Amino acid sequence: MFVLKPHSGVPIYRQLLEQIRRMAASGQLPPGTELPSIRELALAHAINPMTVSKVYTLLEAEGVLERNRGKPMTVAKPKRAQVPAAKRLEQLEPHLEQLVLAARQLELAEDDVVKALHEAWEKTDEQPVHRRTRPR
Amino acid sequence: MNSPYIAARGLGKSFGGKPVLADVSFTVEPGDVVGVLGKNGAGKTTLLELVLGFTPATAGSVQLFGYDSYRLPGKAKARVGFVPQQDELVNQLTAADQIGVIASFYPKWDDELVGRLSREWEVDLNQRVKNMSVGQRQKLSILVGLGHRPDVLILDEPVASLDPVARRQFLEQIIEVAADGNRSVVFSSHIVSDVERLASKIWILKDRRMYWQGDFDSLKDSVVRLHVRATSPLPASLEIPNALRLERNGTTAAAIVQGWHAQAQEALAQGLGAELEIEQLTLEEIFLELHR
Repeated sequence: MFVLKPHSGVPIYRQLLEQIRRMAASGQLPPGTELPSIRELALAHAINPMTVSKVYTLLEAEGVLERNRGKPMTVAKPKRAQVPAAKRLEQLEPHLEQLVLAARQLELAEDDVVKALHEAWEKTDEQPVHRRTRPR
Repeated sequence: MNSPYIAARGLGKSFGGKPVLADVSFTVEPGDVVGVLGKNGAGKTTLLELVLGFTPATAGSVQLFGYDSYRLPGKAKARVGFVPQQDELVNQLTAADQIGVIASFYPKWDDELVGRLSREWEVDLNQRVKNMSVGQRQKLSILVGLGHRPDVLILDEPVASLDPVARRQFLEQIIEVAADGNRSVVFSSHIVSDVERLASKIWILKDRRMYWQGDFDSLKDSVVRLHVRATSPLPASLEIPNALRLERNGTTAAAIVQGWHAQAQEALAQGLGAELEIEQLTLEEIFLELHR
């Protein structure tokens, strides 16, 4: 369900936090979707269960997730229909900064980078992110 | 508030007046998974042996379950599991007999767990220890460290000889222990990516001292690479607070900064009259940078 890279430099809890937040905001994880238990998610990605527990707690406090007594955590109903695009775009900012930085260091032209971004976009259209399974 | 499982204060060890570990203080709470990092000779094994009470401290103190580690009563010993760097298995025994010997020391032994893991990990119980490969011995050594379901599990380089599949199976077992929430794991490893996955706390030993300790996520947030980009050449006297290392190259500079706070970014950018980019580092990079 998620793509976690322990070796990427970004703390694992933040990777998971941002992915769930993004997927809930975009509707890829619609309200009511059940999340894996802490133990299941920890085992599936071989990460510390406390990391998962911390993320769930933070997202519950933010109102992204809902805790249900004795049942799995679920994606909460957003307060309004959907978070506006401008707000969702804000979450993309750090990634854009990284991309631009790398592109500048490689001395690439803006047009070429936009084109490459477009192509990468097309490619993922064929295999939606949320359906891609990860080999164990 | 639970009392910590392990508590050390000013802990030190010298052999013949030569210090091998000095002035180390820490606590391990129920549920902690501590990754111990350090170069060879940094004092990792000594530290773990002091916690286990295998050797008396020459300075300070270390307590396990509230008892002095070196004078640990039997009922407290039964709550500790240890997997040494060099296994202490008996060559003449079969794996099954080896497990039986260890099990006999403990009032509670989880036969079901040990049986299941020996099947999953493909440890042949009929084989004699002396005929086992290094990897098989290591698996058996981990099995006998887990069998009594210890509250504190201490492992010294447990995965050095395991293949990637066995390492993942081992990690899953540590996750099971951690998921309990009331048990703790302290493990040293050179496989930094395993530490990165599992540890909630990190201890970095350097030059026989505790060089850094704390929450793993805060380590990652506090040691970063800072990229500086200015429109005019940066002065030769360029200074960045808390920089471990600084490389200046015309209008750009890169620095490794310790104790970074995101709030500091704006003020520093203004002070330097430059753009700043923060790059987060992997644990391996942080470890290497702290040892340059």
